[in-house]
Amino acid sequence: MRTILSGCVRFTPCLALVLLVGCGQSDPPQFTLDMVAIAEKQIPANQQQKVANILEAMFGTPDDPFVLPETGLDLAKLQMAAGPVKSDQFGHETGLYRRHCAHCHGTTGDGLGPTAMILNPYPRDYRQGKFKFKSTERPAKPTDYDLETVLRQGVQGTAMPSFALLPDAQIDALVEYVKYLSMRGQTEIGLTDAMADLSEGEELPLTHDTLVAEILAPVAESWQEAPDKIIPTDGDNAKPDMPKAESIAAGEKLFYSAKANCAKCHGWSALGDGQTNDYDDWSKAIHEAEESLASDVNTLNEAEMSAEEREALARHVALLSSALATDALPPRHAIPRNLRQGVYRGGRAPYDIYRRIYAGINGAPMPAVGPPFPGAPGTLTSDEIWNLVDYVLSLPYEPISQPPRDQRAVSRAQL
Amino acid sequence: MNPSLDQRESPWPHRLAVALVCATFPMIWIGGLVTTYGAGMAVPDWPNTYGYNLFLYPWQTWVYGPFKLFIEHGHRLFGTLVGMIAIAFLVSTWCCQRRANLRWLGAAALIGVVAQGALGGLRVLADEVQIAKIHGIVGPVFFAFTVALASITSRRWQSAKRSEERQLGAIERLGVITTLLVFLQLVLGAQLRHLSPEAPLGNFRLALFFHLAVAVALLAHVFMLAARVLYSHRQESWLARPAVGLLVMLLVQIGLGAGSWVTNYGFPVWLSRYDFAAAYVPVADGAVQAWTTTAHVALGSLILATSLMLTLRSMRLSSPLSARFAPSKPATSPSQRILSMGAGL
Repeated sequence: MRTILSGCVRFTPCLALVLLVGCGQSDPPQFTLDMVAIAEKQIPANQQQKVANILEAMFGTPDDPFVLPETGLDLAKLQMAAGPVKSDQFGHETGLYRRHCAHCHGTTGDGLGPTAMILNPYPRDYRQGKFKFKSTERPAKPTDYDLETVLRQGVQGTAMPSFALLPDAQIDALVEYVKYLSMRGQTEIGLTDAMADLSEGEELPLTHDTLVAEILAPVAESWQEAPDKIIPTDGDNAKPDMPKAESIAAGEKLFYSAKANCAKCHGWSALGDGQTNDYDDWSKAIHEAEESLASDVNTLNEAEMSAEEREALARHVALLSSALATDALPPRHAIPRNLRQGVYRGGRAPYDIYRRIYAGINGAPMPAVGPPFPGAPGTLTSDEIWNLVDYVLSLPYEPISQPPRDQRAVSRAQL
Repeated sequence: MNPSLDQRESPWPHRLAVALVCATFPMIWIGGLVTTYGAGMAVPDWPNTYGYNLFLYPWQTWVYGPFKLFIEHGHRLFGTLVGMIAIAFLVSTWCCQRRANLRWLGAAALIGVVAQGALGGLRVLADEVQIAKIHGIVGPVFFAFTVALASITSRRWQSAKRSEERQLGAIERLGVITTLLVFLQLVLGAQLRHLSPEAPLGNFRLALFFHLAVAVALLAHVFMLAARVLYSHRQESWLARPAVGLLVMLLVQIGLGAGSWVTNYGFPVWLSRYDFAAAYVPVADGAVQAWTTTAHVALGSLILATSLMLTLRSMRLSSPLSARFAPSKPATSPSQRILSMGAGL
């Protein structure tokens, strides 16, 4: 007995170590499919494998990336960012994405890295090709310079660090790899959509026309067009020659008006305490999937249906429920920026704020008030947007005890 | 001086044990920097360095080459230094003193260095994060072991007088629990540090939760341990100093832990109402991030070593001095059973 007890005491730490550490060699990392989307689109297992195979043929693996010429991506840069973390005696480093990004953004770029769950805001999921902080029109892709700026400057108040200490070549490689993961993710969405549209017994043709011309090429083109979609801040969009105080006053009026409606979300105090129950697109997708699951469970429990239909629905519920548990982050509300802190995640230069108001924030509830395309009328004119820019930039210096004009008027009316 | 002490006891085992401690602690720092900077694979082969024998690798390339190569190759060279000191210590325990158990501990020290080196080599050859994790856990354990050797070989250890005070039993028990908690904390810390990007969603959160929970438990235990020691053995600097040191180090360690989090992941969102938190951006591979995180790792090792040393010293004071040269016999308390080898020294 004593021997057993003594053995237990001595080997408990070792046992704990083995349990916690695990044993056996890890498998090489693999890209994973978006199981929530797969479950929602009800893609059967054999078709899922087909999607994975097509994606591997088009994009390779995390250790061995590959790109078709249509993507316009530089394979040498991708090879520098991909694979296991290594460096040589000449200072050449590879595996940059795995070392710097994958813990949060995930190997697939799905924003589901192991640390993601405890970060607020969640890391970006690149697969939809939506990026918040950029110089281009709302639905357009960011330019390389936009992605580089985010990498170099980081995002204030979040876990996204500044990689300003990395050499230029490494930053370039990471920018290329983010674009690669995003294109891969969007291609996956295109493929699963195509699979979902197939009628029973129909197969997706594995041809260049279908896979590359119809699915990959439009995705790649949207990235290649990004530099043409930059919102100009000169010419017709140049800042009006107007006294600063006058511009701020005009901006203040707009901020609280129904036309710009900024106060609705940013609050009457501009502390970001207006509407705080909206979701960004990533959380909204999960929220809608959860609602769909709840509705399906309800149907399963209450509605009358044939045994076959019940079995199919039960299978769908099980798949979606499992996907939401393992491949999704709990939805979180999008909190509007507190404009009195003077912290602007997309950049604090006046033209950054101009573009943020003009195009809104892609994927977030912040709407665009500029024209949807050049020449079209927008909610606000360029001059009005500049007035708002001046007011927003003045907010950190405005005494918060001074209530905004419209709210003051309402209070007087109530008295 | 205690009359039973061997007056001809050589000072060399103790000197070499102290040298082992002094060489191992920088190894913990260098190893920590290797992980912090992701330099574990800066030299792809082992035991050679880019095909060269470890000692024959051109020093100009090492010193003036990339920083990652500098710290990884330096880590290996420093490891061989620790190994040589361990050999010298083993020789001294066989040649310069007569305690049989100490000889076996000397052999264990050498085996420990070799095993840790082999783990480091395997980590490189297999490029396996799980082995890196074990390597990262064994390092602090080996360092604590060297501190225990330095304590056991000291004159103060040999001249320690047995005390019948009941408080010593409580100190022993608290010491054992604290040491085990620090070890558990190291294992949990390794889960956070050697994180595979492939780890399932939620694993990191779980490890972090336990890391914080164990930190709270540890703080409570160290407070109790220090209070016990200061209450009953305030005059006994052999116990009081490490007890106070342990408490101070733990408080600093909590600060470094928070600092490591902030410099890697930013401030928690509930602090974003404050401008400094809302505007903060971590700088990847920056000096503040690298040194705060590495200091957290190194201080963790120091805490483990201090806790083990305090526990062994309390056991020493509560064990019969005559057991030093007596044949091994069943110990009487659970902690004595666990560490009967140390008590028999």
